[in-house]
Amino acid sequence: MQPSTRDCRTTLDALWRLESGRIVATVLRIVRDLSLAEELAQDALVTALEKWSADGIPANPAAWLMTTAKNRAIDALRRQAAFVEIQQQLVHDVVDRTAADVTEAAADDTIDDDVLRLMFTVCHPLLATESRVALVLRLVNGLSVAEIARGYLVAETTIAQRITRAKRTLKAAHVPFELPLAAQRTERMASVLEAVYLIFNEGYAAMEGEQWLRPALCEEALRLARSLASLVSDDVEVFGLAALLELQTSRLAARVDREGQPVLLAQQDRARWDRLLIHRGFAYLEQAFALDLPVGVFCLQAAIAACHARAASWDETDWAEIVALYDALLQAQPTPVVALNRAVAVGMADGPQAGLDIVERLCAEQQLTRYHLLYSVRADLLQRVGRRQEASREFLKAATLTRNASEQTLLQRRATECVAECERTERGLQ
Amino acid sequence: MAYLLIIREPRGQRAQRSEEEGREAYAAMLRFGEGLAKRGILVAAESLRDDAHGVRVRIRDGNTDLMDGPFTESKEMVGGFFLIDVNSRHEAVEIAAQCPAARFATVEVRELAPCNAP
Repeated sequence: MQPSTRDCRTTLDALWRLESGRIVATVLRIVRDLSLAEELAQDALVTALEKWSADGIPANPAAWLMTTAKNRAIDALRRQAAFVEIQQQLVHDVVDRTAADVTEAAADDTIDDDVLRLMFTVCHPLLATESRVALVLRLVNGLSVAEIARGYLVAETTIAQRITRAKRTLKAAHVPFELPLAAQRTERMASVLEAVYLIFNEGYAAMEGEQWLRPALCEEALRLARSLASLVSDDVEVFGLAALLELQTSRLAARVDREGQPVLLAQQDRARWDRLLIHRGFAYLEQAFALDLPVGVFCLQAAIAACHARAASWDETDWAEIVALYDALLQAQPTPVVALNRAVAVGMADGPQAGLDIVERLCAEQQLTRYHLLYSVRADLLQRVGRRQEASREFLKAATLTRNASEQTLLQRRATECVAECERTERGLQ
Repeated sequence: MAYLLIIREPRGQRAQRSEEEGREAYAAMLRFGEGLAKRGILVAAESLRDDAHGVRVRIRDGNTDLMDGPFTESKEMVGGFFLIDVNSRHEAVEIAAQCPAARFATVEVRELAPCNAP
């Protein structure tokens, strides 16, 4: 029976999301041009839709797509070679080799290298992080421009331009399509991990709009991190990032209540944390520490997340351990945001006044003055030391600074609570 | 979205294989699992020992019933599983079709959800 065009579309859409990264990566190895590789891969997709609608879906659709894309790539090389005699021999070599692994089904190692090369290329440090993020989602994860635009709440044209510009930058800089040498590998990997982390964060802490979570981006990032952890076995931070994302994702369901309102870590129902993901996070963290190499920021953050995951409740958390981990993190990443998070931990380990002292110093240094969390942390600590009126003012300040609608509601509610507590205390005193 | 791919194999199939064939089938499944891991969609995978070693536990009217395997009333035996994290049911089905077990057994695709969900 012939499948309808719609059936083919559905199968192809699913296949594309699973296979496009490998296909683009393989084609890129052959043609060594990012735009051309993407175009040829898309071409194979269009051919598949036409062919499968007419002849039926083949027995092994994924292999069919890959073979078609590779053949397109070889054709493209031949066309180029017709004009450039001198490249003839080179092309023959590539064509022979490629023709060989078209017939050879088990070319998994080559594909692994291809995928890694693709990740290193599209996350090149030369590119702005927003371009890296768009390219990796488009070419490795196989998202459409429209899907990326939806994830980032920007116009499709913005994403399309970002991608075009990024490809032009890579081409102009003659970025070679190779695995980086050992000496540059750490730096290049850092650039890849940063992009994956940013994709996750965009989904995890959506800054704007009604929606508190955009889990689709979290899932894409998790897929990338898991894939990296399986492709690279000697990089501490790769495991660190995978651990961090598993542990953060384990809390996704608990971060909103039934009405869709945000729930902060302290109040989360820990029974709703995903134990399986926590277990996976622990396993990645063990793999990281088993390498016995100096750990970086992702491992440290994952270790902090692991402390929370192990604790039965907010109050039973090993805050001293968390403060120690933040001390190390602050050395590796001396940013005011880390200092602020450390203040929260100190506020739990050594009491609210100790935490407040750190926050006051940050305020005095005029750090983070537009960052709503500075005011909400300060407000929380003020409330706990009993300075409720000031706390209420700080909560309101935080509420005006956040662009997330549900977070705003939460902060306003806490401001009102402080005022109510104040009134109750005054009445109690009279 | 997480899906469990349950491998339901014909009862007695394992015994019919030569040692060589058995090793090959197992290796093919391992390779399949590795491929899923490299694509970043594998959450967990295990194979299960023959259900002749299994036991069923049931408590009725306060009495505990233990029934040793094999559970021959069904023609198939659960032989293992893959837990995957993908974007859609179609992707899960596609993965199931790529599983070597689809050729010698049945791969049942089930979505993870709370059991009070519709």
